Amino acid sequence: MSGGSERLTVNGQPVPLAEVPDDERLLDTLRWRLGLRGTKEGCRAGACGSCTVLVDGASRLSCLTLTHELAGGSVTTIEGAGGDPIARQVQEAFQEAGALQCGYCTPGFVLAIAGALRELGPASSTPELLGGLGGNLCRCTGYAAIVRAAEQARAGLR
Amino acid sequence: MSAARRPDADLKVRGAAQFGTDLAAPGMLWGALVLAPVALGRIRSLDLSAARALPGAVAIGPDDLPRLLGSARGDPERPLFAAPEVVYRAQPIAAVAAPTLAEARAAAVAVRCAIDEAPAVTDLEAVFPEWPAGGAETSPQVAAHVLARHGDVGVALSQAETVVRETYRTAGVHQVALEPHACLAEVDGDRWSVRTSTQSPFGVREDVASLLGLPEASVRVDGTWVGGGFGGKGASLLEPYALLLARAAGAPVRLALTYREEFLLGRSTLPLVARLETGVTDGRIVGRRVRLLLDVGTSLPGRDFATGYSIGFLLGPYRTDTFEVEGYAVRTNKPPFGPHRAPIAPQCAFVVESHLEEVARAVGADPEEFRAAHLWREGDTTPLGQTVGPFGLADALRAAREVAKAWRREAGGPGRGVGIGLGFWSTSTGAGGEARLRVTPTELVVEQGEREIGSGSVLVGLAAVLARRTGVPSERVRIDYRDTDRAPFDSGVYGSRTVGALGRAVDEAAVAALAELGRRLAADTPVRLGVDGGELVAVAGAAHRSVRGLLTAPELAAGGLVTAGRHTGPERSIDAGRVVAGSFYPYQDFTAVAHVAEVAVDTATGAVRTIRYAAFHDVGTVLTPGAARAQVEGGVAMGLGTALTEEAVWSADGRLVNPGLVDYRIPTITEVPPVEVTFLEGHAGAGPFGAKGLGEPPIIPVPAAIAAAVRAACGAHLTELPLSPERVARAVKSAPPSEPDDAARSR
Repeated sequence: MSGGSERLTVNGQPVPLAEVPDDERLLDTLRWRLGLRGTKEGCRAGACGSCTVLVDGASRLSCLTLTHELAGGSVTTIEGAGGDPIARQVQEAFQEAGALQCGYCTPGFVLAIAGALRELGPASSTPELLGGLGGNLCRCTGYAAIVRAAEQARAGLR
Repeated sequence: MSAARRPDADLKVRGAAQFGTDLAAPGMLWGALVLAPVALGRIRSLDLSAARALPGAVAIGPDDLPRLLGSARGDPERPLFAAPEVVYRAQPIAAVAAPTLAEARAAAVAVRCAIDEAPAVTDLEAVFPEWPAGGAETSPQVAAHVLARHGDVGVALSQAETVVRETYRTAGVHQVALEPHACLAEVDGDRWSVRTSTQSPFGVREDVASLLGLPEASVRVDGTWVGGGFGGKGASLLEPYALLLARAAGAPVRLALTYREEFLLGRSTLPLVARLETGVTDGRIVGRRVRLLLDVGTSLPGRDFATGYSIGFLLGPYRTDTFEVEGYAVRTNKPPFGPHRAPIAPQCAFVVESHLEEVARAVGADPEEFRAAHLWREGDTTPLGQTVGPFGLADALRAAREVAKAWRREAGGPGRGVGIGLGFWSTSTGAGGEARLRVTPTELVVEQGEREIGSGSVLVGLAAVLARRTGVPSERVRIDYRDTDRAPFDSGVYGSRTVGALGRAVDEAAVAALAELGRRLAADTPVRLGVDGGELVAVAGAAHRSVRGLLTAPELAAGGLVTAGRHTGPERSIDAGRVVAGSFYPYQDFTAVAHVAEVAVDTATGAVRTIRYAAFHDVGTVLTPGAARAQVEGGVAMGLGTALTEEAVWSADGRLVNPGLVDYRIPTITEVPPVEVTFLEGHAGAGPFGAKGLGEPPIIPVPAAIAAAVRAACGAHLTELPLSPERVARAVKSAPPSEPDDAARSR
C-alpha cells in the first residue's frame, strides 16, 4: 500500500486509496470495491474498449490503468455520466439513434465518444471522431447507429 | 419518439442493466476452472490437496462427483471433467473456488496434474487425406454421416458438356460476444439454482439436469441481460461447474470465463472443406455433387445437428436435374462445435456462390444471369424434395443487380470491384414452446424465461406482434422475465425463431384473450384494444368498455386475465425417399437475401477495403422497422469479419494460437461502411402476420458478396476464407493476366 492519504474522486465522491493494493486495476476497484459494475469487463487486455471511463474528462481504459496511478484524479463512470454535460448528450443520442443492442459495449462507447468530443470539439469531422474509436468493439450494431449517435451528439454541442 | 428508440435503451445507456458478469451475492466465492494443458492425453494423477490447503478454498475433481451428487449420476457420455482421457486442450480437469478471484486463480495454479500426452488430431484433412468412403463406419472419428441423392448424378456428370470441380476451405470463427460466459450458482438442499447469461434458460435447465443426473424440476435457471449471444450462449457451459462448486462450498459461487478462456473453451464454429462438382449442358445445370467435411471438434456422435441441416446450404437455392450431397462430421481434438449465427451458412454461401461463378465463366455465361436462370421459385421442388414456399430471392437478385449496375458505372479506378452474393435461410422452430399472456387493466404482460439478448426480438418484436394483433401501443406491452420454475417452456432465443416461432404462440395467446374479452363484451364484431385515460379499453363496433370492467374480481385480485398460446416444431417435410443416410431437415419457410458489395483491393498487399454495401432482404412482413434495419447492419458487419479477418488458428498439437481480440480481429468502427437496407415484403413466412426470422440471414451472403467483388476488382478467385491479405495477394499473383471484369458484365 502506498500513500495513506491518497484519494481518487469517482463520480464526484472521494474514494480513499489506503486499502487499495498497489497492483489493483481501476476496473476492479470500480466494479468490485465500489460496486460500480456499469463499467463492463470484456477482454481485460485493452483490446475491446468495454471498460472505458473518463479520467479528468479524457477517455481511458480502466483495465490497463492501475488505480494508484490516478491518485488525485477524477474518474467519471457510466453511473456518473449524467453529471457530465457531454456524456449526457451522448447518452441521449444513443437512445434516440437506437445505437445499442445487447448493451454490453454501450457504457464504454458512450464515454469514449464523450472523451473524443471533448478533445476534438463540435467542429470535428466524422472520420476524425471515428479515428479515436477503433479500440471500442461492438459485435451487434455494425456501428452504423453508433456513428449516427456520435454525429447527433456532436450536433448537439454546437 | 424515434422508431429506433428501444425500451431497454435508458437502462443500458446508464450502465444499469445487470449482465451475467455483474452477478454477485453476499458471501459468494469466486470460481475458476483448471483447464487441460494438452489436447490429447491420459491423466496419470490429479492432486487437489495443495489447492484445498489454501485458506477458504474448495477444489473438486471427478472423484468428488459421487459425494456431491449423492445417488445422482450424470451423463456418462458427457463427463464434466476429463477423466482419465483429455480430448481437447482447455477441457476442464478440475474446478476451484475461493473468497477472492486472485485466491481462486492461485488455487487453480496449485492443482497438480500429471498427464501423458499423446499426438492430437486437429487438422480436418489429416484425419481423412483421402475422401472417406465407408459412411458412419469409416472410423471412430466420424461423428455423423449424411447422404442424399436424386437421379443419377454419376451419369449426368459423365455426359455433361462441361464439368467444373473445385475444393473450398473455410476457417473456424468465434462468436465474440463481448460479454464472456458468466453465472452465479446456489444450492439449497435439493434445489440447484443458477443465474446465468443465456439464450435459453430451459435449454440450460435440461442440460444441467442431464449433465448432473438431476430431475429437471430440481434445477432452477434464471436469466440476466445477455451481452451478446450469436449462438454461443445457447447451451450450458459453466453452470454445472458453478453448481458443483456451490454444493461443495456451501456458499454461492460466481464463475466467469476470462476472455482468453472464452476463446479456448467457448463452443465455436470450426473449419470445413467442401468439394463441388457441377455439370452443365446447353447452359443448364444437369448434375451437382457436393461433399462436405465439417470439423465438429469433440462433439459426440448423434449430437450433431449442423451437418444434416447446414449441408443443404451447400446446394444453395439452385435447381439441378440430379444431385448427390454427402457430409461427414469429423471429430478432432478441439472443443465441441458450437453454432455461430447461421451455423456454417455464410461459409456455404461463399462456397456455392463462388463455385457457380466459376462454372458460369467456364461455360461463357454471365455469372449473375447464370445464377438467376437457376434460382428456386415458389412451387419448385428443392433437391431434398421439399416444395419451395413464398420466396423473394428472384426479386432480391433483380434489385441487387440494379444497384450493382449503377455502382459498376460509377466505380472508378483499378482495384475497385462490385459483387453480388445470394443466400437463403429458414426460421427455426426449435423444440416448440408456449407463451403466457396476462391482460391487466393497464397493460399486456408476456411472462417468459428468455431475456432480451440484444437483437430486440423479445422486447421490440414480441411487443410489435401484440400491438398489431390487439391494437394496444407497444409501450403498453411489458415482458415479465421469470425463472424456469415460473415461466412457460420455450426453447430459446436462437435460430431467428423469436418472432417467427415464439411470436406465433404469443399471437395465439392474444387471439384467445381478444376472443374472451369479446365474449364478455357480448360483441358480434372482433374486439380491438386501446388506451383511454391510462386504462386499457376493449372496443367492438359500438360496444366499448374498460378492460378493468371486463375482468372478474378473482382475475383482478390475481393480476389479470391469463391466456396461453402454443407453437410446435416444423410443419414441413422433405422427401424421405431421397435420403440415403443420416438426418436431413425441412425448412419452415424460405427467407431470401441478396447483398451487393463494392471493394477496393490493394493488389500489392492484398488488403481489401469495403467501400459500400447494399442489402436486400425478403422478410415476409416487416414488423419492427428500426430493429430490422439494425439486425441487417449488425449482421453485415459480422459477415465482414468472417469474410476478411476472422480465423481461429490451431497448431498441430491442438493449441489455439490466437485466443484474444488482438490476434483474432473483428471489424472495427472504421472498417464497416454504411449499409443501404431494403426490405422486400409480400412473400409471407410462417410467423405472425407473415413475418420471417431476421436474426441470421444478414450474415449469410456477406463473404460471398465480398469474394465476388474481390474477383471483379482484381481477377483473384479465392477458394479459402477468410480473404486475408496473404491469400488475396497470393491469388492476385496467380490470377490470369486479363482483367476478367466489369467491362464485360456492365453491357
